[in-house]
Amino acid sequence: MKLQALKSLFVVEMKKLIRHPVNLFLNLLFPALLTIVFIFTFSDPELGMSINSVVPGLVVYAVIFLIMTVAQSFSSERLLLRRLNTTPMTSTEFIGSQILSNMVTAMLQVIVVFTLAYLLGFRPESGVISILIALPVTAIFALSSVGFGLITATVSKRPETGTGLSFLFILPQMFFGTFIPVSSSTQNIAQLVPSHYLFEGLQLIFQGSWTSNQLFFDLAVISTVSVLTILLGILLFDRYGNI
Amino acid sequence: MTSVVNDLLTKMTKKELFDLASKKGINVPDEWSKQLLIELLSLNISVNELKKKTASTSTVKTKGSPIITTQNLVKKFDDILALDKLNLEIMEGELFSLLGPNGAGKTTTINILTGIMEPTNGTATIAGFDVTENMHEIKKIIGVCPQEAAVFQFLNAKENIEVIGSLHSVSKKEIEKRTNDFLELLGLTEASKRKAGGYSGGMLRKLNLMMALINDPKIAFLDEPTVGMDARSRRNTWEFIGSLKRENKTIILTTHYIEEAEVLSDRVGIIDSGKLVEIGSPEELKNKYNAKNLEQVFLNITGRRITEGL
Repeated sequence: MKLQALKSLFVVEMKKLIRHPVNLFLNLLFPALLTIVFIFTFSDPELGMSINSVVPGLVVYAVIFLIMTVAQSFSSERLLLRRLNTTPMTSTEFIGSQILSNMVTAMLQVIVVFTLAYLLGFRPESGVISILIALPVTAIFALSSVGFGLITATVSKRPETGTGLSFLFILPQMFFGTFIPVSSSTQNIAQLVPSHYLFEGLQLIFQGSWTSNQLFFDLAVISTVSVLTILLGILLFDRYGNI
Repeated sequence: MTSVVNDLLTKMTKKELFDLASKKGINVPDEWSKQLLIELLSLNISVNELKKKTASTSTVKTKGSPIITTQNLVKKFDDILALDKLNLEIMEGELFSLLGPNGAGKTTTINILTGIMEPTNGTATIAGFDVTENMHEIKKIIGVCPQEAAVFQFLNAKENIEVIGSLHSVSKKEIEKRTNDFLELLGLTEASKRKAGGYSGGMLRKLNLMMALINDPKIAFLDEPTVGMDARSRRNTWEFIGSLKRENKTIILTTHYIEEAEVLSDRVGIIDSGKLVEIGSPEELKNKYNAKNLEQVFLNITGRRITEGL
């Protein structure tokens, strides 16, 4: 693996994040907007939700929307991927750049949500330092979004299709894996949704339960699911992605 | 078209150059070198005059040894036979044009040779490397200009070129130097700092071509590099491609602009329905089929025009 190639592809992805309006909106402005709206709307004790339970869910929302941007970009940039494929770039360099850039994006999302929430009154029990633990955990979870994005891009030939199909992975994670109350009958479904473990893990991190067994269990699930999903995504896109 | 004139003059013998100068009424001392003669004549002769001259006096010899070889290359898409046992030899240092109507198999051939798709059957080697086994080695020595402009819309021209250059491990200094040269030659310097998303079709095509050549490839695959360009940009680009020939690069070109391909190409291969139906220098083919141009050669062979269906 050549570092020059990896760095160059990583820089391209970061420039895309800043310069591509859709990417900028979905990845950074949308989470910011959600944070403001959700904190004002839902963090009301009368609704049974506090700001402390909303913030981890907002981070999860932001990261699962990476599925859509990954699916869109892989579906719309097939010609470019084909061109890159005619250079000596290796799959490791390319996938490495995608992983790194999406991990960095996820960490930026945590910072955006955390900062805005803090300004609106969020005070984690474990202090501001808890963000330092939340960052790598969220970054690892971002791998699963890249994996789901690749799986979506494999079956969608056009970006619009990619957007639509990505909701197959986004919606269950939104509704079952975040702060939206789940009934006892749907609790079992929530156990099958990866975002549930990130949500639970972030809650524990912000509460300061850094050494609880439940947190270690959540981290183990997040890591395993993320690695398996991204491997599956790479395999499927490589074989059936029609590059 | 100065570079084209130069190319044609270079292929002539010293005696032929003296004769030509004499016919033009230019008195040239006997001790003048061939290079001096070429320089003098390039200022005093048009492409058409030269084409007539070379047609009657010389045939273009193939250069070097084969650098690209295909043997019984077959490509099927479901029940469509895109390539039907294609046998081809392209020599090192030559500009080889693949001509044929839409759907003839030109792009499929290029896609297989550049590793974009795998053949269904048969073999293809580039510089001794098999395309199905050693593509990574091949990718180090080729540059590919795809038919559809494939650029990062949110990057400017310099940034786009830099990405491809760095994937080829070209140093930053070298990328900058070559990029500035290319931008100057293709007249894109002013727009080079604007995002490619705002470029016209012709500008995107030029950028597409520059990205293909930033690694100074030994072999360049140019798939319809000038399609959609206005006449001026096209002329500019053909001159640029002509200049690559002087660097002894092997260039594989597909184009619908037959006249320009005829002037630039050392040899052409005519493909129809996935088969190579004829191969040779433009002059050889025109003589063989007693035709005025390659369009007529194609018409004589297949009963159709190359540009049909465009």
